[in-house]
Amino acid sequence: MTASPVFAPFRAVASAVRLAFRNLLQDRLRFALSVVGVGLSLMLILFLIGLRAGALRSAVVYLDNAPGSVGVFPPGTKSTSAGSAQFLAPETASAVASTPGVARVTPILLTLGLADLHGKKEVIKLIGYDAALGGGPWSLKQGREPVADDEVVLDRVLAGRHGLRVGDTFEIGGRRPTIVGLSSETSSWTGSYVFALRTFVEAVVLAPGGASFLLVTPEPGTRISELSARLQTLEGANVVLKGEVMANDREAVAGIFDRVLLLMVGAAFIVGALVVGMVIYTATNERRAEYGILKAIGAPGGVLYRVVASQAVVAASIGAVLGVGFAYGMGWLVMAARPQFMVIIEPTSIAVALAAGFVMALAGALFPARAVARLEPAEVFRR
Amino acid sequence: MDNLGLQVERVTKRFGSGDTEVVAVRDVSLVVNPGEVVLIMGPSGSGKTTLLLMLGALLKPTEGSITLDGLELSAMSERKLPDVRLRHFGFIFQDFNLLSALNVLDNVAFPAELTGVSRRTAREKATAVLTELGLGHRLRFPPDKLSGGEKQRVAIARALINDPTLILADEPTANLDSSHGHETMRLLREITQKRSRSVVIVSHDARIKDIADRVLWLEDGQFMKAIEMATDPICGMAVEREGAVAGVREGETYYFCAKGCRDEFLAS
Ligand SMILES: Nc1ncnc2c1ncn2[C@@H]1O[C@H](COP(=O)(O)OP(=O)(O)OP(=O)(O)O)[C@@H](O)[C@H]1O
Ligand SMILES: [Mg+2]
Repeated sequence: MTASPVFAPFRAVASAVRLAFRNLLQDRLRFALSVVGVGLSLMLILFLIGLRAGALRSAVVYLDNAPGSVGVFPPGTKSTSAGSAQFLAPETASAVASTPGVARVTPILLTLGLADLHGKKEVIKLIGYDAALGGGPWSLKQGREPVADDEVVLDRVLAGRHGLRVGDTFEIGGRRPTIVGLSSETSSWTGSYVFALRTFVEAVVLAPGGASFLLVTPEPGTRISELSARLQTLEGANVVLKGEVMANDREAVAGIFDRVLLLMVGAAFIVGALVVGMVIYTATNERRAEYGILKAIGAPGGVLYRVVASQAVVAASIGAVLGVGFAYGMGWLVMAARPQFMVIIEPTSIAVALAAGFVMALAGALFPARAVARLEPAEVFRR
Repeated sequence: MDNLGLQVERVTKRFGSGDTEVVAVRDVSLVVNPGEVVLIMGPSGSGKTTLLLMLGALLKPTEGSITLDGLELSAMSERKLPDVRLRHFGFIFQDFNLLSALNVLDNVAFPAELTGVSRRTAREKATAVLTELGLGHRLRFPPDKLSGGEKQRVAIARALINDPTLILADEPTANLDSSHGHETMRLLREITQKRSRSVVIVSHDARIKDIADRVLWLEDGQFMKAIEMATDPICGMAVEREGAVAGVREGETYYFCAKGCRDEFLAS
């Protein structure tokens, strides 16, 4: 009646975990240190992943808000981030516009530029658009859109950082436009957006009538695949769906990011595992005699393994939750202090962090737990 | 069954080999009957701990066999031993060796939980044993808040919780003052006799001789002579048969602490 064979293994596990808890809580300071250590390392991991997500997001934020679903690019180009020196000829634009099924063509002239903002140089993404065809700022916070050459809308965060306001001027490409509006959602540490009329940008890049790409809005009821096929036959046009362009843009940013990111995430992970490992190792070593006793009184190696591993898992789990909290806090702080950095903490990366905490715990506990499981119970009698 | 209790047959333990070989226990045989308390004494290095470890299945003999209640320990696989230790043996150590993170009750309940009984049952059993040992008022105490004697009684309770066949104790009184040591061992004897469980104690402490049914002297890995104990029927004192005052009544030999007791006994 008492020793139900079905529950017996679970009960042994439960008592192992309980002992682990008590062992951990006995030295509160060490427990707190291990939790904070894991928390900080997971925070770093989450923060880096969040920074990457933010960078990917800002890489496509413009296209995401621009009209159209099909892009037409110069041959050999299929992303905006290429910063290509090739332009589509004005004839291509008109040919696209007269293709059946096309409702609207939005020509965009995009170039990376170096703006001189009160003596400080900043890389910006200069967007040239036609007010009538769309592709301008989608979230204007102050002022108005440009109506004349030498008028621009500047990203609000960029303007704020340099103390620029509506009515101020700055230098770019040898010209001195006036700021007529400030836009939001357009900031990025890889280059914030500046919007101007296409004619202004044409003058800057010396490509009269050119466009970096065209965004095509199909007529309602048109099949995208058929439209793409028709456009593809046009001379000098490379047709790419807007979704694909965005994916390519994301990939280009990820390509720059991921190697460094992987290195840093890996380092943070190892640091976290080392913290868990060191804490569990010292805590375990201190109790060698106790673990020997447990073995002598008949605890199988597996139970000891579990006691040690659960200590690591408990410390790492609490550390992981703390780390998620830290990461949100850090993300918020960074975005408040440096709004050009976007940190996006997604549910999936939280899941990744929690899993990382778990693996960290197991990795950190591996050696101490193995040492304990191999402990000779006879050792307890000799000292 | 006639093979109840512990049977040790011609057990030898060697450590190392060649020039560095140590024969810690040499061709030792011993039988411990259910309910019997055996004290093994001997000089340092004589092999007492080694023998005890073999009795408790914590160390494999080089030669010979050890059988507990018909179960041959020396032939058992390593995988089965933890369970045997858990259910058939109770260990008491010199340093008490309680788990510092658990309170008194949980320390004692832990081995019961390992057998798979529910936590409640384990705690009930632990409470009962602790109360029997006079620790009913210390259940929630952490071990470091107990006196040495109390700690050793907790250790005894832990050794008894799974109602083992054999209790093994290595220098259980070494860290206690003499009165506490003696009192604790007397309590152990009382409880194990009530349950008809055997006890083997290894000790330097001659003052606990009187709680043993039998005292063995180990020297250089071998038993020298058996010191047989008897209880003076008049004053109740434990006496070594050899050298004690003896008297025969109705064909049976009795042993006394002094002539006075014998005379009183034979006169009655
Ligand atoms: N693991 C081992 N390896 C080698 N020699 C050992 C080992 N264990 C014990 N010995 C040797 O066996 C002999 C008996 O040791 P044991 O510990 O059994 O003696 P003891 O009677 O318990 O001594 P004490 O009273 O000091 O505790 C000693 O000479 C010891 O050095
Ligand atoms: Mg010894």
